[in-house]
Amino acid sequence: MKVINKYNSYWVKFLKNKRNKYSLFIFGFVFILSLFAEILSNDKPIIMSIDSKLYFPIIITYSDKHFDGYFDTEADYKDNFMTQKLAMKNNWAIFPLNPHSHDSINLNKSTPNPAPPSQYNYLGTDDRGRDVLARLLYGFRLSVLFAFTLTAIGILIGLFFGALQGYYAGKTDLYLQRFIEIWGSMPELYLLIIFSSLFEPSIFLLIILLSLFGWMGLSDYVRAEFLKGRNMEYVIAARTLGLSDTKIILKHILPNSMVSVITFLPFRISGAILILTSLDFLGLGVPPDTPSLGELLAQGKENIEAWWLSISTFLVLTGTLLSLIFIGEGIRESLDSRS
Amino acid sequence: MKILEIKNFSLKNKKNNIFLLNNISLTLNKGETLGIVGESGSGKTLMGLSVTGLLDPSVFEVVSGEIIYNSKNLLTCPDEYLRKIRTKKISMIFQEPMLSLNPVQTIKGQLHEVIKLHVTKIQKDIDYLSKEIIVKTGLDDVDKILSSYPHMLSGGQRQRVMIAIALVCKPDILIADEPTTALDVTLQLQILDLLNNFKIENSMSMILVSHDLDLIKNYSDHIVILNNGSIVEEGLTRDVFEKPKNEYTKKLISSKPDRIITRISGDKKILETKNLSCKFPLNNPFFIKNKKYFTALSNINIHVNVAETIGIVGESGSGKTTLAMAIMQLLNYDGNIIFDNKDLSVLSNKDIRKHRDNFQIVFQDPFSSLSPRLNILEILSEGLVAFNKNIKHDELLGICTSLLSEVGLSNDMLSRYPHQFSGGQRQRIAIARALSMKPKLIIFDEPTSALDVIVQKNILELIVSLQEKYSLSYCFISHDLKVIKSISHRIYVIKDSEIVETNSTENILNHPTSDYTRSLIKSSFLS
Repeated sequence: MKVINKYNSYWVKFLKNKRNKYSLFIFGFVFILSLFAEILSNDKPIIMSIDSKLYFPIIITYSDKHFDGYFDTEADYKDNFMTQKLAMKNNWAIFPLNPHSHDSINLNKSTPNPAPPSQYNYLGTDDRGRDVLARLLYGFRLSVLFAFTLTAIGILIGLFFGALQGYYAGKTDLYLQRFIEIWGSMPELYLLIIFSSLFEPSIFLLIILLSLFGWMGLSDYVRAEFLKGRNMEYVIAARTLGLSDTKIILKHILPNSMVSVITFLPFRISGAILILTSLDFLGLGVPPDTPSLGELLAQGKENIEAWWLSISTFLVLTGTLLSLIFIGEGIRESLDSRS
Repeated sequence: MKILEIKNFSLKNKKNNIFLLNNISLTLNKGETLGIVGESGSGKTLMGLSVTGLLDPSVFEVVSGEIIYNSKNLLTCPDEYLRKIRTKKISMIFQEPMLSLNPVQTIKGQLHEVIKLHVTKIQKDIDYLSKEIIVKTGLDDVDKILSSYPHMLSGGQRQRVMIAIALVCKPDILIADEPTTALDVTLQLQILDLLNNFKIENSMSMILVSHDLDLIKNYSDHIVILNNGSIVEEGLTRDVFEKPKNEYTKKLISSKPDRIITRISGDKKILETKNLSCKFPLNNPFFIKNKKYFTALSNINIHVNVAETIGIVGESGSGKTTLAMAIMQLLNYDGNIIFDNKDLSVLSNKDIRKHRDNFQIVFQDPFSSLSPRLNILEILSEGLVAFNKNIKHDELLGICTSLLSEVGLSNDMLSRYPHQFSGGQRQRIAIARALSMKPKLIIFDEPTSALDVIVQKNILELIVSLQEKYSLSYCFISHDLKVIKSISHRIYVIKDSEIVETNSTENILNHPTSDYTRSLIKSSFLS
């Protein structure tokens, strides 16, 4: 019961500040929306009925032959063949709010690409005719999930090494610190370039490569906190009470060093989003077809007159980063037990 | 002759409108020392800062009153005038000499700055004056001191330098705010004698702010007693000490720790150290074999009997805390520590953990000895859970409630966090935590040094009553001979990592054999 009270009060304190509240709600809302991107923005109908039979194209992949077509490939619901079929009597389909997927191209369009916002593409299209809104939504989701994963891995590794160094100090600290110095002086960007030409670029590879280097800044902070914490009198008191090292680390030092980790958290998440965006911008990031904010920015640069590309991406990116930092600051303030 | 007069001075905090000083009126005569006594938070320091106009105007607001010096009201004076009289006419010494000197400037630079600003701009005179004042403060090797940086000097030297800077302009008034609190006891007297001599020589007036009653009693002519920002009593020092009128004053004067000890039941040894030594590598060269060591303890032989309190007294850096840490098995040592007929020095860390419930420690700083993110229930139950993983929540709650009542706290405090308690309450919680393990021996490492005198007395009484109840053995470490005297059966005097003298408390106080013990006794005003 005590524990619930404790976290409850943090939560109340967090929500007291309006900036925290709105940042969290806006970010959370958009993020949850983006998790359902397939339903919100897709070139397949959510549900449709042909010849009194129900189909769920978003969940189940139907081939063209299902609908008396000629091909074994997946049906194209925007193709004339399908639109005519759906227009027949008693046949119907419910399309998502934005009837484009991140990689669907509208072939029937008359305007050249990139096309400005219109009733077909609410935020216009990019230079290959793909819907910008769809790409933003999918790209945002990918960036945030990528950032969460990268941050989580980085924090786990950073906490582990930092705690090890700080708590045991002495020789352990000495050798690990030298290792980190050597490891940290490796040219990260060049490694990324080399690896992206050696292997097929993929999100997974990016996460591994960035995780290898992303933990070092944090481990320094954690180490410093633990070095300070291990000599605090309450830690010595815990040792005299007979607590094991693991328990002391988890219960006494870690909670008191969490402020630095948590302060770091929003900056790491937004940093990770920025890394992915800039790598994509340079063309070193995710594979070309993947929706990404960086690629949209690069397109915006290439097509400087297509303002809808750069402005919309810029707004999404800034909004995300800003709200993340506001949320982080809010968490830090509410966790501070002294205020 | 009046030199400074404070009339109906009231001061409040702008943010929460709490009055910090209430209707303060006092006068300072020429050549006289005025002692201001009070507990922490009573407004002593604010008084000093108000006189020199150093209060932060964004936090503090003067509500009423005037401070008259040289027939001018300092509270309404323009800043330029205040700047002129600071240090030149009214000078100040702060408590912490490390913090009040600029670490990146030499002593010479800081001293010259003051002289150049207030006395003379001629380089030859500046050199002469600075050397003269350094000699006067009792520092030898003037040139070396002048070219040193603050970190190269010891605490006592630094405080002398501070005094030199404060006195070089021969001010009319010196405000000394706890000038010796951060120093070792044997140094305190020297510094105060120095100030006193200077005062007499230059017929200077002095305001001496302190929480230490003995010090004020010996060095001030008039005395003002502050409580919660109000003057509760004032008068000639002798009168106030002999016939205190106010209740608070009586309590304050009687809070001087009396000798309160229990009867020793037997002479069974609970703890014994044999040739206990401890050394730390000074520099840790990676490839070189012969390392240099700092000896923190050398050949310490002490023992504690059941239900006995031994006092360990010494200055900072003498190895008191290292000794406590070694007994608690928290650092590596040479020699043997025998606890309850078991040699702890041969046990592995894991086996020691099984014995940890038998000996516990209470630390000096009640602010850092409780984990700020755990509530009191969690703090108290931690050790119990470590030794008995299957303990039930109800049972824990019961034990912790009785622990709290044992140390005189109510059980509705269990869900609170450490920062919601006062220093004395925190120290009680720390004692409760030590008790939770039902130990046979408790080490107290300066448990009362961070507390006000009245609280200090209560804690000492608590400690003694617990000893009576549970026949606990205590090892009481302090720099304060007065506290040690009040509570211990036997005393060990430790200096430079060695035991210089040991005897029963009466014998040590009445017939000290070593010079060091004699100087300790003298500077604690016990002789």
